[in-house]
Order: sequence, then structure tokens, then C-alpha cells
Amino acid sequence: MSEKREVTLTIDGREVTAVEGEMLHDAARKGDVEIPVFCYEPKLGAPVGACRMCLVEIEGIPKLQTSCSTPVRDGMVVHTRTDQVKKAQNAVVEFLLVNHPLDCPVCDKGGECPLQDITTGWGPGKSRVIDEKRHFEKPIELSPLVAIDRERCILCYRCVRFSQEVSEDAQLQLLERGDRTYVGTFDERPYVSPFHGNITDLCPVGALTNYTYRFRARPWDIEQAGSVCTLCPSQCNVSFTVRDEKVKRVIVRDNPGVDDGWICDRGRYGFEMFDAAERVTEPRLKGGSKTDYETAIARAAAGLGARDGKVAAIVGDASNEEGFLIQEIVRGALHSPHLDSRPAAGPRIDTILGLEQPEVQAKVTDIDEADVIFVLGTDPMQSSPILDLRIRKAIRRNGARLVVATERPTALDGGAEAIARYAPGQAAHFVGELTKAVGGTENVATPLAESLRDAGKIVVVWGERLGAAAAAKLLHFADALGTKSAGTDVDGPKTQDSLEISAHQHVGLLEVPDTANARGLREAGVLPDAGPGLAALAINGHGTEAIREALIDGSLDGLILVGVDPLRDFADTARWEEALNAASFVVAFSTFATATAGKADVLFPLETHAEKDGTVTHPDGRLQRVRPAAGRPGDIRPGWQTLANLSLALGHDTGVTSQPTAFKALTDAVPFYASITDAAIGGRGIRWQETESASSFPALAASAPSSAPDAGAASADTQRDSASGEAAPVAGALALGTYRDLWAGPITELNPPLKFLKPSQRLEVSPEDAARLDLDSGDTVRVTQGAKSLEATVAIRERVPAGVCFLAEGVAGANANGLLNGHQVSVQIEKLSEVPA
Amino acid sequence: MSEQTFYRQAGSYLDSVDVVEVQRGPEPGGVGGAYRAFGETLRGLKTTMSRLIEGPLTIEYPEEKTPVYPRFRGRHKLHRFEDTGLEKCVGCSLCAAACPADCIRVVAAENIPGERVSSGERYAAVYEINLSRCIFCGYCEIACPFDAITMGHDYEMADYDRTNLIFTKEMLLAEPIERTPLKSEDE
Ligand code: SF4
Ligand code: SF4
Ligand code: SF4
Ligand code: SF4
Ligand code: FES
Repeated sequence: MSEKREVTLTIDGREVTAVEGEMLHDAARKGDVEIPVFCYEPKLGAPVGACRMCLVEIEGIPKLQTSCSTPVRDGMVVHTRTDQVKKAQNAVVEFLLVNHPLDCPVCDKGGECPLQDITTGWGPGKSRVIDEKRHFEKPIELSPLVAIDRERCILCYRCVRFSQEVSEDAQLQLLERGDRTYVGTFDERPYVSPFHGNITDLCPVGALTNYTYRFRARPWDIEQAGSVCTLCPSQCNVSFTVRDEKVKRVIVRDNPGVDDGWICDRGRYGFEMFDAAERVTEPRLKGGSKTDYETAIARAAAGLGARDGKVAAIVGDASNEEGFLIQEIVRGALHSPHLDSRPAAGPRIDTILGLEQPEVQAKVTDIDEADVIFVLGTDPMQSSPILDLRIRKAIRRNGARLVVATERPTALDGGAEAIARYAPGQAAHFVGELTKAVGGTENVATPLAESLRDAGKIVVVWGERLGAAAAAKLLHFADALGTKSAGTDVDGPKTQDSLEISAHQHVGLLEVPDTANARGLREAGVLPDAGPGLAALAINGHGTEAIREALIDGSLDGLILVGVDPLRDFADTARWEEALNAASFVVAFSTFATATAGKADVLFPLETHAEKDGTVTHPDGRLQRVRPAAGRPGDIRPGWQTLANLSLALGHDTGVTSQPTAFKALTDAVPFYASITDAAIGGRGIRWQETESASSFPALAASAPSSAPDAGAASADTQRDSASGEAAPVAGALALGTYRDLWAGPITELNPPLKFLKPSQRLEVSPEDAARLDLDSGDTVRVTQGAKSLEATVAIRERVPAGVCFLAEGVAGANANGLLNGHQVSVQIEKLSEVPA
Repeated sequence: MSEQTFYRQAGSYLDSVDVVEVQRGPEPGGVGGAYRAFGETLRGLKTTMSRLIEGPLTIEYPEEKTPVYPRFRGRHKLHRFEDTGLEKCVGCSLCAAACPADCIRVVAAENIPGERVSSGERYAAVYEINLSRCIFCGYCEIACPFDAITMGHDYEMADYDRTNLIFTKEMLLAEPIERTPLKSEDE
């Protein structure tokens, strides 16, 4: 981008400097000249020139030109206020209003409507229309979440372009012609897409409105408060619309470095749960009896203090500061090394250090410039939806090539140049093979390696779900790839030297973790084998799974759970149940009254991302600030305060007395956060790799085990990857793969508007296996693994390989986590009932 | 200004003003005194007597009330359509936007077919005016696109409790409450 030439032009007598190729409208804005637009929205891609609102006069061109689609040229002289332009603007507004109902008082957009603003600013001020306007049935459901009023539509194409070119679901169309044109879907079916709420932000009139916000407030009734969505690792920047201390709406807060100006429907409509009846709004003691903070903290401190050295902590949904304070409590106050922030056994610290080296770290915007995007072991649509849009954009607009290697078919498969499916549990093996294939060995992964070799700039989007062993091999793979594309032939084990030669100019890694702030918690020191700043420890503690086992065998006694729900989200529900029962003292921090929270001896409430004040770290290293927007319901106190007080009650003074001191304690403890200040984070966040403290990131040891091909294959870490741990599968059994469904969990259970999306358990099988087992899509089956089983509905999917089946995790009543046991499992399928004909 | 000029100017001012002669009455005692004692009293009584036949002018508020001018801006009223009985207010909040005292609160909701409250898509689920803050400027009335709110003629809103001065939609839709019994015709 930087090599683009600068040009100078004159707009309304002002000299404006713009970048070559920029559209006139944007150049004018730089010169503080406002040109009205309806259809122009750079986020949607190339301008279409549909509305003609942006007409300007350019000297030397006889007719008026659309400034949204005319690129700047050196020496251009542009006028936006001549009589000719005014006449055109008046005419365009008058034409738009010919069929516009002008029912502003009942329209939800009133007060924040571009059509109102442009009509008063650039319109003729009066109408000559005396004829009947066009009529449509209104308002009707475009989807259960979005209402459409076709009379108000000005046919600007924005929503249609979003559906066609951004979310690529191709459902919205302009139907009919002339003044009968209207926006709709094929056969009036509901518009379903996990991103469709964005069209309500895009629509410049009140044609598309959210059912969740319809008539809730006017712009003068509300306040907008910027924060960060922490419902998934995308950490989209959002703005909460707050009225009477309550969130009424969530809209985008464009941050090109994070979300590209979009949010998913989870983030947009998942706010009514902040007020759900299930919300924990005050500290509680065992049995659910409510209490005050002082009593709860005293009880928790007494219980935990009595188990000094035998307490473990598992952290999920928490800010960096909260994570830091928890590790202070566990390590400092309770003298225990056992804490983790990962749902399953994660990679060891040397692997993490290797994968997080600033040189191999890709940032989100690198996807835009990549030549090849390699999606490995994750389905961004389910795990980090906004990345899915980003990858689609790179393919569509920038011609990037896509390579996918996953267990389960992904939403991105359609655009992929090469796809590989590995069996569940075989990720590490696959990455190993792929590394060899990139090195020149012929094997199953060769077709993929062909697409990746000499590809130029590659971004590897990899999922934490790959597992520890695969992650350990990933760096080696990236290394092989980087070196290969750099033109050096390398075989055999890598050394620190070769790692540097490749310098990863070409390969960047971007993780898709399982939890929203996984990276921040890691870096704040919530790991069994690393302290704040990923510093090595004298004694390493247990990871999540080892903590569970230690609780069962009694070597650990107390447990602190922060923002995690093991009984729902972790593999092997029965074993977790056993562990939670075995623990003699459990302190839980939870947003909602979950089954796990019910096991707590002391339960503290957690804030949501609309209430919390704290920082989180994006998977690409960007520190972002979650800011309080709405009031905290009930008696909820800030998380940092509760934790700091708990630590104090345990006799360990963290010195934290406010959010700024908590942040200071964090940046003091994490060397590569050291130069980051609240001001530097600002509204857009800052990547620590781009600050001067990045050089303090712990270097890789010269003989880093993680760069040797098979290092990660250590016992406990590879449970998930060793199929060998299990007896030979029974004939007819299918290997079970599980995935996290975007809509499973409290999001669809506690948000009334999203209830219709609540997933039921589906067993995804290949057509081959379905034929063999005599299954039809829609049949009810019992899926059995050992003594455990659940019921599911069959869904036959072409792209599922034979011999494998998939179930979703976290589905209420039929949670696939119940069937897992930490090893690769296979399941028996028994048909219960046929789909009614 | 120096002291001298001041006096000079003051002096010239005094010169030009007519000096009013004080009219002195007759010396006390004698005929003049008697006239003053009775005559003047009778003259005064004449005025009193002549007014006496006009009847009393005191308005016995609160039993009786002073009429107000037609454009008097008193307590607000919300209106219904006479034919359908639906509320005219659609909860658009324009009145709230116009209000300089920021004393109107509107929370709108969507009409459910079959249970229509207003004639538009939306209606005011909550409509409150805090009359202890209202300055009776009438801007809300001007802002309303549906003539749903007008300023009435009722000015009796005093109360012992400020919270009672927050008028709800039901109160604003209803006829003004009769705070004190009016004197009946035959009283
Ligand atoms: S519905 Fe809105 S966004 Fe879509 S074409 Fe009409 S005016 Fe444009
Ligand atoms: S993609 Fe993730 S972070 Fe973004 S809005 Fe959706 S849930 Fe929130
Ligand atoms: S009369 Fe004036 S101050 Fe009173 S409610 Fe109306 S706009 Fe507000
Ligand atoms: S009274 Fe009039 S201006 Fe106020 S909300 Fe109702 S319709 Fe709108
Ligand atoms: S904004 Fe240029 S034509 Fe619509």
C-alpha cells in the first residue's frame, strides 16, 4: 500500500492530498468537504454507484460524476456546491422520496437516519408528489431477528451486497423490477446467516430493523459506550447502546485491525442474557443462599487458606488483570503451582514460546495481504466467526488462495483450493506428514503441500483444538514451509539457525483459541508451567486434566473456578462431576447459575463484557480494553476488587486497589507489556509486538525442543492424539469427532430472541456409513460410547469422510463432552426411530 | 466627574423641574375639622355603598375558579381518536427531544395486532411527564406530529409529594382530577 503515489487535487477550492486510486468521496472527506452518500460503503468492497446521491462536478467532464466511484487524479478540480450539483442532489432526494412513506415518527431509524439527514441537508425542502406511493405489506419478518419494511427501502443495494459479497450466503436479492423492486429472499424464506444482523447497521433507512431494538429507544434517549465483545476469541470491537443503565443494542465499532467493521449475530443479539433470571447477581453460599461480599470473602479465604498448597485454579472467561490476580492468589497466597486456563491439556511452555515469537506471529490484517491462507484444525465460522469473513474477503477481493485441513468439514471448504481431512485425533500425525511433504516426501499430504510450497506470503490460521502434540509440531512445520518458500532446501531437524534464516517473512501463525481471552490469560501467567510474561517457573504445576485427576485421587483438595463450566464445556463430564464432588472446597466465579456453579461452596458473580473494566489480549497479541457500559445488576462488584480482597484476606497483599493499579501490576509483571499504557490501548488496542517492549519476549532456547519434530509427544499432553490408548474399535463403530457449535451454550438458552437457534444434537455421518447403518437424515439414533450414550438426530453430510462421525459439544441434554474421555473414542450407533415419512 | 460639575448639573436639573406645592388642609378644629371627620368619611362610604350593590367580587377559590384564556398552557393531555378510541400518541419521543426541561420520558413498544394501543406501528408503553420540572413552554405540543399531546387548562397540580407530580400516561389520558369539590349551583 505504501508505494502508492500521492496526488493533489482541488475540491471546492481546497487543495487536498490523496492516495492514488482513492475514491473522490474519501479524498473530499480529508479536505473536510462532505458529499452525501447512500450506497457507498467501503467495507462492502468496490462501489456500485447505485443511488447517485454523490454526484459532483469535475472540470473537464461535461456530465456530473459519482464521487463514490470516481478515483482521484492528479490536478483534478472538483466542485460539490455548484448550482448544477445542487439541482442534481435535489432531484435525487426528491426521487428517493417519491415512494418513501416518510413515516419517521413510527420509524425506528428516526433520529439516526441518513435519509432524514441528507433530505434536510441536501434535499429540496418540499415535495411535489401528490400521487399514491407504492405499498407493501409491512413490517414483515425477514428473519426472526430482523424486520423489513419494504416501503421505506431506497434500493441502495447495501444489504444485498453484504449477503452476496461479504457473508457470501447469497440469500438476499433484489426481486422484481422498476418501482416494484424489493429486497427479499428466494421464496420468502427467512434469511439465515450468523452475520445477518450487520445489514441493520448498513441500511441507510429504516427498512431493516432489529426486533431486539425496535422502538426501545431514540438516539436522544441513549448513550453509546464502546467495549470489546468477549464471547469468542475474535474480540470484535462493539458499541453498546445503553438506556436506563441497560444494554439495548450492540452495534459495530469499526476496527479494521480486529473485526473489519462487522460483528456476528452472537455478539449482536447476545445481550439480553445480561439480565437473565439465571444471572448470579450476588455472592452465594452452598445451597444457593445469598450473602454479602464480606461474608463470602471471609468464607472463601477460610476454606482456601485451610487447604494451603492443595488448591488449584482453572480460569476461562476473565480479563488479563483478573487472570493475573488469580495466579497471585494461587501462587502467592496459597503456595500452589496448579493452575491452567485451557479446557484440555495444552501445549507446553516451550511450544507456546515458539509459537508466540513475534516473528512468526501473524496479525489479523495479514490475512488481507496473504497469498495463501492455510486453515488448520479449526472452523473459523464456529470458533471465531469474524475471521471467517476476513478469510472470505481475502479470497474474493485480494485473490488469496485457501487451503483447509481439518477433521470436520468447514464453512470455508467451498472456496478452498485444496482440502485435507484427517481423522479425529490424528492432527499431530497429519501435521508431521505435512511437514515431511513440504520437505519433498511423497505422502498423503502432498497435494496440500503443493499448494503451500513457494506460495509467497502464507498465513496459517490454526486452532487450539489441534491439541498439544500437533501444536508442538506446528512450529517445525512453519519453519519447514518458511524455509522452503525462501528457496532453501532443508531436511532433517531444524536448528535455531535455520529458524532465523527463514525469518518467517513468508509464514505467519494465527491461533484460534477455544476461549475468548486465552492468549491474555496465558501471558498473565495462568499456565501450569509458566508465570506472568511466560516466564519459566521453578516448580511446574498440573494442567486442567491433571488437576481433575488430582482432585479425584485426593492429592488436591480445593478448587477455584473462574468463568469456566467444566460440566458443560470440558471433555469427560462424568469424570469432572466426580472431581467436583471430590473437591472438599470449591470457590467459583460465574456469570450464570450453571450446574458447575451449583457445586460451589462459595459462588461469586462475574461481570459481563458490558460491565467489566479490564484488558484482554487478542490472539494476535493486541491488547484491548473492555470498558464498563451498563450498570452492574444486583450487588455485583468488579472482578479485580473481589480477587484483590480475597488475596488480602488470605494474607497476600497484591497492592491492587483499582483497575489502573491492577493494570499496572499486570504490565509490571509481564515484561513484553511493560511499555503499554491505557492511553496507548485507547479505543483500538495495541499489539504488544509493535511496542518497544516486544524485545523482552522470552527468547527460544537454542535447542528448543519444540523445534524438534517429535518433542511434544510427551505422555499426558498427547492423550487426545493417541488412538492407541483404546482397545481396537468394535466392528461398525465410528470414530467420534466433536466440535464447538457457535450456538451451543447459554447464548441461545438465556437470550430469548436467540432461542430459535438453540441447536439440538446432530450426528453427522458420511453417506457411506449412513447407507451401511441404514440411516436417513432425520432419524433419531442413540450414540453409545462405553457406558455413556446420548440421543441425536442423523444428518448425512457429503463431506464427512467415511468411518468418522461428529457431534457438537455443549448441547444441552445431549452434550458430546459426556462421551469423551480424553482419548480418541469411537461410538456405536443404534437407530431408535425413523424420520416420519 | 468632579464634585463641582455634579452639583452644577444637579442644580440645573432642580431648576428645571416644577416644584410641587404641598396642599395643606384646614387647620385642626373648627368647621374644617368637622367636615374632614364626617364629609370625607361619607365620600368614602359612597364608593363603598355603590359597590355594595354589585355584589362580592372575591372568587372563592378553590370552590370557584378564574377562567383562563383559550391558549393558556396548563397541564398536558394525551388524546385518543374519537372514533376508534386508539391513542393518538405513537411513542415517537419527539416531544421528549423537544422538551427543554428534559422532563418527558417515553418508552415505546410495538403494537400487537388484535391488541392495538395506537394507530401506528408503535405506541408509548411508558409516557411520563415530570410536572415538577415542566416549565409549561408548550414545545412538546408543537413537536408532536400527531397532535397527541396538548396543553390543557388545568393548573391545579400542587401536591404534598414530589413523586406524585410524575404524571403517567393513564393520568394524562384521563380528564383532570377534581382536587377540590366545586360549589354546586344551588349552594
Ligand atoms: S433494505 Fe436498506 S440496505 Fe437494503 S436496499 Fe433497501 S435501503 Fe438499502
Ligand atoms: S465474532 Fe466473536 S467477538 Fe465478534 S461479535 Fe461474534 S462472538 Fe463477539
Ligand atoms: S411544556 Fe415544555 S417543559 Fe413541559 S413537558 Fe412540554 S416541552 Fe417539556
Ligand atoms: S406525544 Fe406526540 S411527540 Fe410525544 S411521543 Fe407521543 S406522538 Fe410522539
Ligand atoms: S454513493 Fe455514489 S452512487 Fe450511491
